[in-house]
Amino acid sequence: MAPPLQSSGSPPNYFSNCTHCGFCLAVCPTYKLTGDENNSPRGRLRLWSEEAAGRLPQDEWTDFYTAECVGCLACETACPATVPYGEIFERIRHEHVASHRFTPKLQLRLAAVAVAHPALFNLALLPARLLRRVGLKVHRFLFPGSPPLLKSTAAYADELMLRHRPTGPRVAFLTGCLMEAMFREINFATVRVLIENNVQVIIPEGQGCCGAFQEHTGLDGVETLRERNRRAFGPLEVDAIVSNSSGCGYALGKTLQPDKPVRDVLGFLGELGPVRRQRACDDGTRVYVDLPCHLVHGQKAASIPAKVLDATGYRWELAPKAKDCCGSGGVYNIQKPENAQQILAEKSAFLNEAEGAPVILGTSNHVCMMQWHSAGATGLVTRPYEVSHIIQLLDPGEKFSIPSTSPQP
Amino acid sequence: MKSSLEHQLKALLPRGRVLISAAQLAGYGADGLGYKNHLPDAVVIPADAQELAGFMKGAKALEVPVVMRGAGTSLSGGPVAVQGGVIVHTSALKKIREINTEGFWCEVECGVTLNDLDATLKPHGVFYPPDPSSGPVCTLGGNVASNAGGAHCFRYGVTSNYVLGVEAVMLDGSVHCFGGPAGGRGPWREDWKRFMIGSEGTLAAFTRFWLRLLPLPEKVWTFRATYPDLKTTEAAIHALVAHSSYPAAIEMLDPRGVAMVESSQMACGLPEGSFMLLVEIDGPEALVNARVPSVVELLRRAGSNDVMFSDEEALRQKLWKARKAAGGLLGQLSPAYVVQDAVIPKRALAEVLQLVYDEADAANIRAVNVFHAGDGNLHPNFLFDSRVPGELEKVELISKRLMQRVIEVGGTLSGEHGIGDDKSAYMPLVFGPDSMRLQLSVPAAFNPAHQMNPLKVFENRHFIT
Repeated sequence: MAPPLQSSGSPPNYFSNCTHCGFCLAVCPTYKLTGDENNSPRGRLRLWSEEAAGRLPQDEWTDFYTAECVGCLACETACPATVPYGEIFERIRHEHVASHRFTPKLQLRLAAVAVAHPALFNLALLPARLLRRVGLKVHRFLFPGSPPLLKSTAAYADELMLRHRPTGPRVAFLTGCLMEAMFREINFATVRVLIENNVQVIIPEGQGCCGAFQEHTGLDGVETLRERNRRAFGPLEVDAIVSNSSGCGYALGKTLQPDKPVRDVLGFLGELGPVRRQRACDDGTRVYVDLPCHLVHGQKAASIPAKVLDATGYRWELAPKAKDCCGSGGVYNIQKPENAQQILAEKSAFLNEAEGAPVILGTSNHVCMMQWHSAGATGLVTRPYEVSHIIQLLDPGEKFSIPSTSPQP
Repeated sequence: MKSSLEHQLKALLPRGRVLISAAQLAGYGADGLGYKNHLPDAVVIPADAQELAGFMKGAKALEVPVVMRGAGTSLSGGPVAVQGGVIVHTSALKKIREINTEGFWCEVECGVTLNDLDATLKPHGVFYPPDPSSGPVCTLGGNVASNAGGAHCFRYGVTSNYVLGVEAVMLDGSVHCFGGPAGGRGPWREDWKRFMIGSEGTLAAFTRFWLRLLPLPEKVWTFRATYPDLKTTEAAIHALVAHSSYPAAIEMLDPRGVAMVESSQMACGLPEGSFMLLVEIDGPEALVNARVPSVVELLRRAGSNDVMFSDEEALRQKLWKARKAAGGLLGQLSPAYVVQDAVIPKRALAEVLQLVYDEADAANIRAVNVFHAGDGNLHPNFLFDSRVPGELEKVELISKRLMQRVIEVGGTLSGEHGIGDDKSAYMPLVFGPDSMRLQLSVPAAFNPAHQMNPLKVFENRHFIT
């Protein structure tokens, strides 16, 4: 009789799942950019495994190709053999940083220290919030918006909870570090949308950065951050822990799942069937939806739910190649700006010709929003367009009430 | 020596890239047969066809083997530098130059992937039929070099049926068009493009192709049926092949493949121990719709009480799921596997499959069969652990016995993967000395020193400096 069909009994070789089939090449942004197989997932896996096996000495080209990876995880979706590329890559990047084979840029190292201290980070970025509020264009990544300056999302949520007293499912909301410190208006909009949909929002004290920043840079400290969030979210009795940034949600999922249900806020709303915004019937607005890598390849969501996109009240369609990376890659657009710009150039070209007035590029990750905004600021896109978080397109504004049709307990 | 090669290559490719460090070569040691590793001495990535031609002109003087490579998804060791030398990676030649919907042809560079071509053609209502499983990533260059097939080649035929013309660069740098957009011979007395298709990089470097296109079928129906044993499955296959519905694809997954799928996250409810057949018919809507009942009846009458069928895209994809997942799932079981590509007369199907089971079981090697049943194109996958001494040898022995039987029943070595390095040892099993000599004279005519992809197809075809 044939031996049973299961993985062999010997301990798994860390890299051994890769059959070298090459399916990852077609989706890898750096392979598409350079046409160099070493600059692809299977190429990098080969370099790492050959080095680990002692057949390839440490080589500056291995360091180079490792640093080139955007970390978009599109290869994980494409991989028929389910190689955990992201996990391997994170470990290797951390090793390279720890052994000084790779040094993240100074501003990233400083930011990594700052994000670990949310109060300090919030204070330090107060001037940036102010500049965004008054509408000064200070950096190609800073998309326009009106972040509240002093009131925290936690305080705001408490206020709205008291005012509206929603009775539906209870969620704990990860407010994030950069999202709270720089793009707080998105957090506020998230709270409004959730409460309008009769969701009870609690914002646990003591929460902090999800650790994605450390994961993206390879710097130390990720475990400390994860532990803090385990303490903040772990004991809560909630229906879901939600995040409004796909990258943060993915990182928090790695920390808390499978014990706790970590959800992207749009996916969560999709199941509720969110309140629909009414727009004028002659509204010419067109929303082009780009899907963040860490939503579709990291969290493995199929998409942003159509129910949610329909509820924006706008005509929408997926952006061309919506599941391809825009080049932001967490901190990739700071670490490797030229590559990031080239990747974005191809992704964003359609906007120049896209139908609609106004045109909105909608996505669900603030870092992708920064990258998309830079397409206009750097001249890749020459026509006017806005960048928006999808949750902002569902935002009822300050004056809203919970519709009486909402499910009651 | 290395620095001199680097110097020469950089002079030949002022705009393209030259990879020469150990860590730049490591990524090019293998193709889709990941367990076999042969490092090249250098890799070049020409910036465009012109630079590739310039490289070929100077390549002879390099006095090292020249190995062409597309996406490196081959399953025969074809685009690998077995005798060292320079790999020419065509990843930058990815322009789709023209789509001619009046003449139903397109002009593409050799590095265009099938996926990109499909996506570009679709809005024009046309398609390019060959569909190897590596379609998302494999390039036209590799497809032409190996005369690739795919699931729908039962009706549509393989790559050679769709190549109208090949532009190729010889080792002296001369550029030739064999055929062209109008097909046929082009400016040659004989149809030399036939030599080029399936030549596995042993003759010349390809730069671009003119390919024949077909109108997209109006309607597609997919059927999935399971059978309790090989006998009933075989009966169904024979009936399908002769059926007036003229299926585009007849695919099969054996019980070991079914078990693999069902024990994975891709499980789709196939009965344990069953043989799965996947059938597709396509064509004008009214005609195809009218044929559906007779196909269902045929599948049931052959012995299946589990027939599912649909014309809806999402459901059709569900029916295809097990078949499409199988290749990748092999990787989850074992990263190292040898996949054979024998083509046999369909009457011998049951007998040859039984041989695969008997040999594999006796050697304690796992074997999974997932293949193009309509064409009699077998793909037994032998899974092994390359870290265990002796396992590969066992697989090679099974493969050899299998090939011997394939030849005895009137079959041949390879349907679509090519011979490459992996199956060159079996060539003498199929071809006698006279035939071998004649066939070897073809690459010798194009490059007498066998500088192009040496040690491929013919086991002893060394490059001699």
